Order: sequence, then structure tokens, then C-alpha cells
Amino acid sequence: MSIELEQVTKNYGNVQGISNISLEMESGITGILGPNGAGKSTTMKIILGLSRPSRGIVRVNGNDPFTDWKLKRKFGFVPEYDCFYEHMSGLDYVSYFLRMHDMGKEEAEEMARRALSELGLGDAMERRIDTYSRGMRQKTKVARATVFDPDILIMDEPFQGADPTTRGLLMKKLTEWAEKGKTILISSHILHDVQSLTDNIMLINNGKMLAYGDRHEIRRLMDNIPRPISIVPLEKGNLRTLAKRMLDEKWTKATTIDEENNELTVETDQSEEVYKELPIILQNEKISVEKIYSEDDSLDSLYAKLVEGAQWK
Amino acid sequence: MEIKEKISEIPTAIQNFAKRSVNLFPPIAKDCTYRLLMNKVAWVIIVILLLPCILGLVIYYETEDSRQVQNNDGKKIYYNNDGNLIHEEKRKDFVNQFDLIVISFVAIIMAILFSSELINEEYENKTMQLLRTTPIHSFEILLYRYITGTLCMFGILGIYSILFYLTTMMPSGQHGIIENLNVLLLILKVLLFESIAFMGIFFVFTIYFNRPFLIGIAYWIIWESIVSGQNYQKLTITHYLNSMMFDSTKEMWKVEASDYNLVNSKNDIIATEPLTAMLIIIIITLIMLFLGTRGIAKRQF
Repeated sequence: MSIELEQVTKNYGNVQGISNISLEMESGITGILGPNGAGKSTTMKIILGLSRPSRGIVRVNGNDPFTDWKLKRKFGFVPEYDCFYEHMSGLDYVSYFLRMHDMGKEEAEEMARRALSELGLGDAMERRIDTYSRGMRQKTKVARATVFDPDILIMDEPFQGADPTTRGLLMKKLTEWAEKGKTILISSHILHDVQSLTDNIMLINNGKMLAYGDRHEIRRLMDNIPRPISIVPLEKGNLRTLAKRMLDEKWTKATTIDEENNELTVETDQSEEVYKELPIILQNEKISVEKIYSEDDSLDSLYAKLVEGAQWK
Repeated sequence: MEIKEKISEIPTAIQNFAKRSVNLFPPIAKDCTYRLLMNKVAWVIIVILLLPCILGLVIYYETEDSRQVQNNDGKKIYYNNDGNLIHEEKRKDFVNQFDLIVISFVAIIMAILFSSELINEEYENKTMQLLRTTPIHSFEILLYRYITGTLCMFGILGIYSILFYLTTMMPSGQHGIIENLNVLLLILKVLLFESIAFMGIFFVFTIYFNRPFLIGIAYWIIWESIVSGQNYQKLTITHYLNSMMFDSTKEMWKVEASDYNLVNSKNDIIATEPLTAMLIIIIITLIMLFLGTRGIAKRQF
């Protein structure tokens, strides 16, 4: 299943929801990251056909999701918000939406039972939803969205309000579904959730897509932002030699020596070059290292820069 | 060519629609019925409606002994002190009071309430968004809710009309009750068409407007109440319901078209033939369903 957005803009009156977003998604998990109000939900609604772009084209398997209602059988959607028939039991609720997929009563009930049990709601499925905890509600939403084995799963903040057990269970399930070849789009403002599921991310802020692709590729885009790379040699004596050697390189902006922690930090704006050349330099200087790392490689760092409003290219 | 192809697809589409309805309609009907029957305001209305029935019973027990009775082939026919047939008076009371309380007032409030519960609540609870992510056509989303709402409204008011009929007609005895069943049938017919028409109209309001209750009330007061007594009354549903009432009641007792506001400013009778009235109501409803379907399909979240 493919999802394509081409220069999609959505305005709500004078307020811009998203602007010029283009992306192509195939199977696997894609994370859509951004602070609250960034445009994540709007992007998802446009893909789901709940909203129509003001400009641009959206295609799901080559069709317009806003007009092609039959396409909806491919979608499983976990919304961020609660959207229950509170008087129904979890079982009735999941069955109800299965019936909307033109399924018979018995078949729908059987499938709903299985899905809810798999998500740990076996004992509570006959209870009314208005007695459910937040975690149980979240599981019910996920069961409803996944029970009919959709090809495309769109989850808006699926881990919100979920307890650690539910979170772990959902992570496991998501990985399983991705392995089955489903196209999964997850939005979150919590980086850790997305980082542990996928490297493929889209960063969005103020309705604008800042970056899209593998997170290392995205990091490469940030090369114009100086970033620190830390080297920890095995022998403490090598720290100054290494610092001197680093200063000879054109990609070094500055070096900092931390004697206490036996660590040399190199500030650079060409990190790819550093990672390529550093092993050769270390080999030539016969310096063994314990580790080379950059705290700035984490999504947290990317995200921090994003919400600070850093200028990216 | 395209139009021809589309036309040739219609029988298959109807067949698929009928097939799908087996799975789609029962769960929607069950959920909607539950929500309507659990609606607290609906229960308040029902309780208020029971008061005239209780009053009818009180009047019956108080006047029971003052009736004159005549035996006619084993049938007890009751007269009042003036020598008039009680059932002839009571059937008139039944129609006039029912028209005043239910047809002109309660039924409209109920239609606004039910349509709001079935559509607006789903928008507010965001379940409509979820439905729009499922493979169900906007027409199906609307139609099954509309059918359930109309049947519930007709069911509740229909049962009430029977109760009201029995309590009103009790003083005329068994003979009076059986003899005037055509009056009850007339009321049921008018109620059915009223449910069909107003549910359709208020469904459209609830789909297109954020405050359907206020819009509904405004429509009822400004359009149905004020315009229905004027020269342009053929633009109102009330005119067609009044026409149906007038056509039947004029056969039973002396009634003027002006009693149902079916005259224009020149005092000409402008009543519509009952069959035409029914047909117009059905056409208006179909237009409303079309507009409603379009409204659901075009609504963005």
C-alpha cells in the first residue's frame, strides 16, 4: 500500500494547518514527530480522507481518500481523542465497527473477542466502556482499529495515557504488524516512543515539514548546525595528542578536553566527514578508543532543535 | 457512454446496498434505539404527555354516572345529558386536542431532539469521524439513523395516540371506541407522515448547522407556525399535514377549511389533495436525505 502527499496545504480559514507537505510512504513504520499543534493530526486526517487539502494532491494506492469511501476498508485509525459509544461494552463497540465492514454478527463478535483478548481485555470486554480506565480505552481503540487486519494503520498519539504494560504491548504489536508488511504511521510528541520503533521519521513544526526520511539522513541535513562528537581514548595520555591532531582537520571548529572523564569533544559542522575520517586518523596515530559518540545523534537532540525553531536546510 | 455505464451499474448498486443492509442496519438500529430510549428529555416529554391521559381518566370516573345509555342490538350507546352521542363529541375532542398538543407541538420537539441525538451527538462524541474512516457510504450512515429515528418517533407517539384515544373515548364505551377507530387511524397516518417529514428536515439541520436545536426551534416558529397560516403555506409541511386532517375530518363532522388555516387571504380554500400531500412529503423527505448525504460526505474534520 502506498501513501503519497504532493505539496499538500490545508488552511482552516486564515489559519494554516499544514503547508506544502510532500511525502511517500510504503510498508513499515513511519513516525511523525512534532510538538502539539505542529500539524500531525491534520496530516493524518488528510491521509484518512477526513479532511480535504486546500491545495495539493493526496493519493492512497492511487485513489483520493476523501471521495473513495470503499478505500476506507484499508484503513485502521487510532485517534488521539476518545470517540466511544460509552453505553456499549468493549465487545459491542469493536463488533459494531466490524459490522460497518459488512460482517455478520457472529463473525464480528468472534473477531472482536479475539482482538480484545490479545490486547489483554479478555475479562473486561463485556463491561460498559464508561467504566474503563484510560489504558483500557486505549487498548479498545487499538483493537477496533486493527481487528480487521487493515493494510494501513494510522495512529495518532497511540501511547498517550497508556501505562507501561500497555505501552510495551502496543510496541510489540506494532513491530509485529510492521513485519507483516503493513504501512503504519504513528504520530507522537514523545520522542522515545517513535525512536524505539522506527528510524523513518517525518519532522513537522508549525505546519511545515522540516525533514523526512531515515533519522541519520535527517541528521545529515543538520550538518550546518555545529554538533559535538565525543571520543574516549583507552589511554588518558592520548587525549592531548588526539586534540592536537584534530585541530589540523578542516572540519574541526573547536576541541574541548575533559581530563576528569578522559574525553575529547570535537565541535564540527561536517559530522559525516568526521565519522568517515576519524577511524583512519586513529589508526595512523595508533590510538585505541573506548567509544566515539555524539549525544546530538539522538532524536531528542533533533527534536530539541526543532522546537527551539532552529533553521534547517 | 459514461452515463450509460453509470445507469447500467444502478441495479448492481441497489443489489449490493440491499445485501449490505443486512449487516449494517441491525447494529445501527440497536444503538440508535437505545440512545433514543435512554434520552432523558424524551422521557420528560413522555411523562408530560401522560398527564392529559390521566386527566381523561379522571373525567371519565367523574362523569361516568351522568351518562344516558341506550341498548341497540346488545351494543351500549352512550349519550350525554343534552341527548348528544358522546362518541361523536369525544372523537372531535380527541382529534382537536391531539392536533394541538402532539401534532403541532410535541412531535416537532421530539423530531428536533431525536435528530440531534442521532447525528449531532455523533459529531460531538467524534464517533462520526470514526464512521467516516470505515467503508460505509454517507447515505448508509444517514439512512439507517433516519429510519430508526423515524420509527422510534412514530412508535412512541403512536403508542401515546392509542393511549390518548382510549382515555378520551372511554366515556363513549366499547361501541364508541370501536366505531371511531378511523379517527385513530387518521391520527396515526398524519403522525407517520409528520415523523417522516420532520425527521428528514431536522436531520439536515443537524448535519449542516452547529446548533441544530436552536435552528430547529427557529424553523418551527418562523416557518412552520407563521408561514403555515399565510398565502405561502404550501411551502410548509404543516400545510400538507393539515390538508390530510381536513380531508378526513370534513367527512366525519362539520369542519371548515379555515379551522385548519387552509385558506388564503382572499378566503379561498387552498387545501391539497391528501394523496398529493403524501407524495409531496415523500419528495421533500427524499430531497432532505439527498442533502443530508451530501452534507455528511462533504463535511471535513
